[in-house]
Amino acid sequence: MESNAGTTETRSNVTVPDGGEVAAFESLQFTDEIHRLISAPGTDNASSFTALLELPATQVVDLLHSPESVKLIVASAPNVEDFKGSFHFPSNTGLIQKDARFSVFSGEGNNKNEKSNSPEMTSKNSSANLEKAVKSEPAETVSSLPLVSDPTMENRNIKRKDREKKVKGSTKKSKTATNERLEDAEKLPYVHVRARRGQATDSHSLAERARREKINARMKLLQELVPGCNKISGTALVLDEIINHVQSLQRQVEFLSMRLATVNPRIDFNLDSLFTPESGSTMDGGNFPSLVTPLIWPDVQVNGYRKQFQHQWHFDTLKQPIWGREEVCNNYVTLENSLLSCDSSANSATLHANQLKMEL
Amino acid sequence: MRSPFSLKQEFLKKWILGLQRCRSSKKNMSIFERKKVIKLSADVAMASARKGTTCWSRALIADAVKEGNADKHLAEKILGPASERQPTKKVPVGAMAYNKRIRSKKILERSSVIRRTIKCAPQAARPSSIVKTLVGKRRQILRSLIPGGEFMNGVSLIEETLDYMISLRAQVDVMRSLASASKLVNLN
Repeated sequence: MESNAGTTETRSNVTVPDGGEVAAFESLQFTDEIHRLISAPGTDNASSFTALLELPATQVVDLLHSPESVKLIVASAPNVEDFKGSFHFPSNTGLIQKDARFSVFSGEGNNKNEKSNSPEMTSKNSSANLEKAVKSEPAETVSSLPLVSDPTMENRNIKRKDREKKVKGSTKKSKTATNERLEDAEKLPYVHVRARRGQATDSHSLAERARREKINARMKLLQELVPGCNKISGTALVLDEIINHVQSLQRQVEFLSMRLATVNPRIDFNLDSLFTPESGSTMDGGNFPSLVTPLIWPDVQVNGYRKQFQHQWHFDTLKQPIWGREEVCNNYVTLENSLLSCDSSANSATLHANQLKMEL
Repeated sequence: MRSPFSLKQEFLKKWILGLQRCRSSKKNMSIFERKKVIKLSADVAMASARKGTTCWSRALIADAVKEGNADKHLAEKILGPASERQPTKKVPVGAMAYNKRIRSKKILERSSVIRRTIKCAPQAARPSSIVKTLVGKRRQILRSLIPGGEFMNGVSLIEETLDYMISLRAQVDVMRSLASASKLVNLN
């Protein structure tokens, strides 16, 4: 590691930064952040960060005291191989500052080696950074670093995996991946992320490609979620399935709310009696059957409603005046079968209790 | 991601609160009004369970309390007094301008696409363009389905769809089990 740091030091001296003072100022902010993060104990939430900082911690501290610019801190990261190429950025210190800020914490097992130093790669880095860069001020992104101890870690991990897959697929390597991962991690508090700086046409196509790959990764997730979508290939058909699924779910909600409205004469149905014996306790799937069984349903009318309700399922719904509404009818036709099976199983109380336990 | 079970719990809690708030209105509601109340309270509960982190939830609540909406008072009653409303994540002003930009961009794009298709109609036989229009049409449909979908661009559209689908599924599960629970009560 030390020899690598040495080589990267020399390399950094070769490139000429444009904004010397800017680099110094931002390096100060940067060092504050690093100190704060290093001193934070390894709690569960911050475990990712301490893991990230474990390796480079000593090195970072060493290099912090050196009078060089931010690029050296970049150099001190454990996966130094990855950053060999980054010191040949031809332009735009702003990007380099952002890279430096994010890449120190890239201690995660990113073992891809930077081989090529072509301008293509640098432009791709810049474009990818452009695309992923947060719109807000750099100071804000730095301050959002402690927020990485965020409960939605799996979400971030999914994004990281997507980045890794994408980078593995492409010939351009690691630094982009780490930057994007970290920028993803740090942009978590923000929802919309788009940068609007114009660049050369080459970077446009690369940004397009990165964006398309991001969309494809999300589509894969959707495919896994929608049942029966795994075998379909082709975006249009998958989108068809997704649309159908969302529509059917919405219709189910409509239908179930209608059903609940019929079963109970009052809109808060049996909830009062459901929850008064259990007031204050948390709701639990297992509690539901126990809550439901000792209830006394005072309203005899409800049974009448229910029987009526059951009978109507066997008729053509369109003929029933009470179901005269158009939108409601569509629901019933499609979900009639499921309802019938549900009604038949309602006769055995134990079976139902088990169903409730499973459903909740 | 968040565990589905806690999502269901939260949704149920909020739904019940909302329903109890609506209870004070007229006693003998017709079946359709009841259904409307149930569905509205369920939707609002689902959206507020997200605590303003997703676009569709914000759009859903905003639609419910929109000025021109017939059930605005109902929605407001469900949400509770303004002081109780959960602070939704502040949408930065940049995002609003961004939405407007997106919309104006889309209008421009659509007009230019129309012009382009009129001009180079024979070239539409190219497979890539056909696929693009197919996918684009479906995206439009998806946008119309998801609340607040018009403001989302490609990537966020898919993310919002994911989240919306998960929430819908949880909602359906809870409603179904509640319906069967009340049926069980009726049997006794």
